[in-house]
Amino acid sequence: MTEIAYVDEAALQEWIVEQRWYGSKTREVAQVGIAEAVTLRDEGPRLVLCLVEARFGEGTHETYQVPLGMRPASEGWTDRVICEQDGMTVYDAFADGACGRELLHRMRSGSEETVEDGVLRFAWAESAGAGLGGTVDVRPVGVEQSNSSVVFGEALILKAFRRVEPGINPELELLRFLSAREFPNIAPLAGWYEYEGRLLDATLGILQEYVADARGGWELALDEIATRPEGFLQRVRALGEVTGDLHSALGADSSDAAFAPEEPSVESISLLTADVDEQIERIFLDLPETEAVAPIAGRGQDVRERLQAMSAIGAAGRVIRTHGDYHLGQTMLSDRGWVILDFEGEPARSLPERRRKRSPLRDVAGMLRSFSYVTAGARLLRGVDVPAEWETRAREAFLDGYFDRADAALLPPGEAPTQQLLSVFELEKAVYELRYELNNRPDWVGIPVAGIMRLLDDEDG
Amino acid sequence: MSRNDPGHWFEAQPLWFKTAVFYEIHTRAFFDANGDGSGDFRGLNEKLDYLQWLGIDCIWLLPFFRSPLRDGGYDIADFFTIQNEYGTVDDVRDFIEAAHQRGIRVIADLVMNHTSSDHAWFQESRSSPDSPKRDWYVWSDSPHLYEDARIIFVDTETSNWTWDDQAGAYFWHRFFAHQPDLNYENPEVQEAMLEVLRFWLDLGMDGFRLDAVPYLYEVEGTNCENQPATHEYLKRVRAEIDANYPDRVLLAEANQWPADVVSYFGEGDGDECHMAFHFPVMPRMFMALRREEARPIYEILRQTPDIPRNCQWGLFLRNHDELTLEMVTDEERDYMYGEYAKDPRMKLNLGIRRRLAPLLDGGRDEMELMHAILFSLPGSPVLYYGDEIAMGDNVYLGDRDGVRTPMQWTGDRNGGFSRADFAQLYAPPLMDPVYGFQAVNVEAQLRTPTSLLRWLRRFISLRKEHPVFGLGTYEPLEPSNVRIFAHLRNYEDDLMLCVHNLARSAQAVELDLSQYKGRVPVEVFGRSRFPAIGDLPYLLTLAPRGFYWFQLTQPDD
Repeated sequence: MTEIAYVDEAALQEWIVEQRWYGSKTREVAQVGIAEAVTLRDEGPRLVLCLVEARFGEGTHETYQVPLGMRPASEGWTDRVICEQDGMTVYDAFADGACGRELLHRMRSGSEETVEDGVLRFAWAESAGAGLGGTVDVRPVGVEQSNSSVVFGEALILKAFRRVEPGINPELELLRFLSAREFPNIAPLAGWYEYEGRLLDATLGILQEYVADARGGWELALDEIATRPEGFLQRVRALGEVTGDLHSALGADSSDAAFAPEEPSVESISLLTADVDEQIERIFLDLPETEAVAPIAGRGQDVRERLQAMSAIGAAGRVIRTHGDYHLGQTMLSDRGWVILDFEGEPARSLPERRRKRSPLRDVAGMLRSFSYVTAGARLLRGVDVPAEWETRAREAFLDGYFDRADAALLPPGEAPTQQLLSVFELEKAVYELRYELNNRPDWVGIPVAGIMRLLDDEDG
Repeated sequence: MSRNDPGHWFEAQPLWFKTAVFYEIHTRAFFDANGDGSGDFRGLNEKLDYLQWLGIDCIWLLPFFRSPLRDGGYDIADFFTIQNEYGTVDDVRDFIEAAHQRGIRVIADLVMNHTSSDHAWFQESRSSPDSPKRDWYVWSDSPHLYEDARIIFVDTETSNWTWDDQAGAYFWHRFFAHQPDLNYENPEVQEAMLEVLRFWLDLGMDGFRLDAVPYLYEVEGTNCENQPATHEYLKRVRAEIDANYPDRVLLAEANQWPADVVSYFGEGDGDECHMAFHFPVMPRMFMALRREEARPIYEILRQTPDIPRNCQWGLFLRNHDELTLEMVTDEERDYMYGEYAKDPRMKLNLGIRRRLAPLLDGGRDEMELMHAILFSLPGSPVLYYGDEIAMGDNVYLGDRDGVRTPMQWTGDRNGGFSRADFAQLYAPPLMDPVYGFQAVNVEAQLRTPTSLLRWLRRFISLRKEHPVFGLGTYEPLEPSNVRIFAHLRNYEDDLMLCVHNLARSAQAVELDLSQYKGRVPVEVFGRSRFPAIGDLPYLLTLAPRGFYWFQLTQPDD
């Protein structure tokens, strides 16, 4: 632990465990300490970027990014204050525009700070225009679950990762790859900063273009299912096309080892199936006896047999880097069409796991499940009377667009095995949703149940 | 930090090994990617998906260094290159990176005590008394030094000294006569071995399983094992690791009594090896199973001293060697031979060269019970490749090769291990009707929800959900029913009750759990709640060879 007392560690501990992004609320933290501190600015205000370790019991810990801002107490700073110390107010500097400006400035100039045990490196993306991010308004955005965001003049947005994990963040990797290839349907990468050192190597923040005047895909779908359901199907087809383009782009470069498409291992389908089979077994073990789950109650064995049948696939196509957590909530519709956001992958999975190459059909399955959710959501949340067969038609529209554009070499050879593998991924997703909804949102349990029923009924199709 | 440095992929977690599940692999036997009949590093790469699915945390690779293979690679001829058939050092680097990407660590088996007689160091050493390397090995004009040292490979060796015509002197060897011991009195040797360690650590290796550590130094008038100078050198190795290679692990192979092995953890806070194998507990588990009584396990655990908090035992059912019976009494050894090695071909040195499944007559309940006991004990379990699918052995292959046959992946040709011609394989895969690859293979067991493989995978993930098994205290319960091995593990607020029935018949047991009155046992596999603990002894009935693991939860949980 660094010796310099930037902040009283007891106060820091008290503050950090209260934050929304602090991950281990249920665990008793043994000690909180600053493991690495880099001074970005000496005064007006003083800014120190800290990596804070929360240590638990025997040997485990988590690392968080906390930039500390320090201003004389006389200035009366009140936002996200951690403590008062030696006449200074110490606070979370993501609340302070000065911090955002400092980080932006450093990214643009590609600065590097070497400290005792490592180096803090700021970088500007080669593909990014040099004119971006002049003197601008800085607007901290409300704190999200695991990140903090700062918007610069409605032109750039910085996403800083609070919980820091070792390894390159997949979002940085994918944005860099896609931006360099000028993929049009993303918010291009502008810069990033990272730490490399004895403690860990980690991506700390990502700067990308801000998509102004765009509407979130989920909200848009809820609105338009009510107002113009047919018109929205056109948009769904376009989303399928964009998704196909995305996968084609991600699977197009064999020279970059991190992205080169690969043949899956011989066991891949068996391993996937065994995994899903176990999840099914577990969930049926203690399925509650409620009306919502009644359609599938006692049918665990049928589901498992259906899975066995679906998984009899010869070749699984190729595995590539994927979006990893693909659903309507990760998309926006702007005046230049669909924009795909958030390439971080499923937050609950470990970073190496999120970087794994997988079949692109896994993303496709995620979006198909999202159509189920938004259809049910329109009823549950908006009381909309959704046209019959709307979900089926949305699926068809999306898949039409997708297969039109996706590189066929990435998919299983032939329509039947493609459909089968897609169904396995949909089932995996639906079982995961069922567990989640049972624990969190009993009103929504019917959605995954219907998804599982659909796959059971598909037997003849 | 290089791409291969574990810190590039893992958050610093110096005690990771305490909650890890290890998996031991013989590179030659795992998967042949280039079709030459021998397993290789690219083959290991291709099977990482499988290993990740299985849920293991760390791979222990048997020696892969260049070697004439007169002792399965434990006769190293060059510490800086790898066996030709296995690939190149670059392949090793790629494999380590690929493993790290999947959250799996890799440790290498390293022999510090001796080299192959083919090693350039030995060739130079024997060439002339004036050779600058002469003093790198232990030479003598007389074979009558260190006579109190036992002979380990009693089946093949008659002395620890062998005459070398070229050198005109005897050289010292604790193992085979083609494995001369290095002379650790020589500072150049000490430094040379540190260089070897640094080379592989710089490549990203997460540590070493140190083969045969007790024998580094010889001292006249002693049994030449566990010498103070040996411990001094291990402390030096550890200091180097602590200073420059955080998060790596040293795992000592010291086939000794627990009271002697603990010295390899070092003093105070543990300043030698992070881990050491617990050898004697293993034969006693097999003994307990045959005798249908828990006493041998309770006894050996009672004789096991506490270890520093940052250290851990390595526990295993079977490994690449014979089931060693050095750490049992003569009487116990006779019993074990009588029960587990009815065919004399199954014996080797002071042990039994068989795999887990044949030792247990293929009994599924027995395999599950033995894994349950293993996983419940304080320590980190080490699995041996192939045992997760109940692979068998081939007692007709020489030495320990019978337990090192090709991994059985599918029911296809060569068991899916290699595309080479059958005649090209380094060893024939098992083809007998019970354990052969057509009956026992990964592919079939993946597809079968009730298979041992699927069961073990669930069991591994269950153990990993409960750090208490790696970190917690151990408290034997010793109920009056001697057929039951029952104990408590506790870490922070996780309290686990493990009850195992060693008998072939159903048993009832009454456990004194009065201090946990009010708590509700929840069976961890099926998450069923059992009646709360009351004033009376807690009564359980167990199926033959059955076991229960309960979490003792607070009633309001």
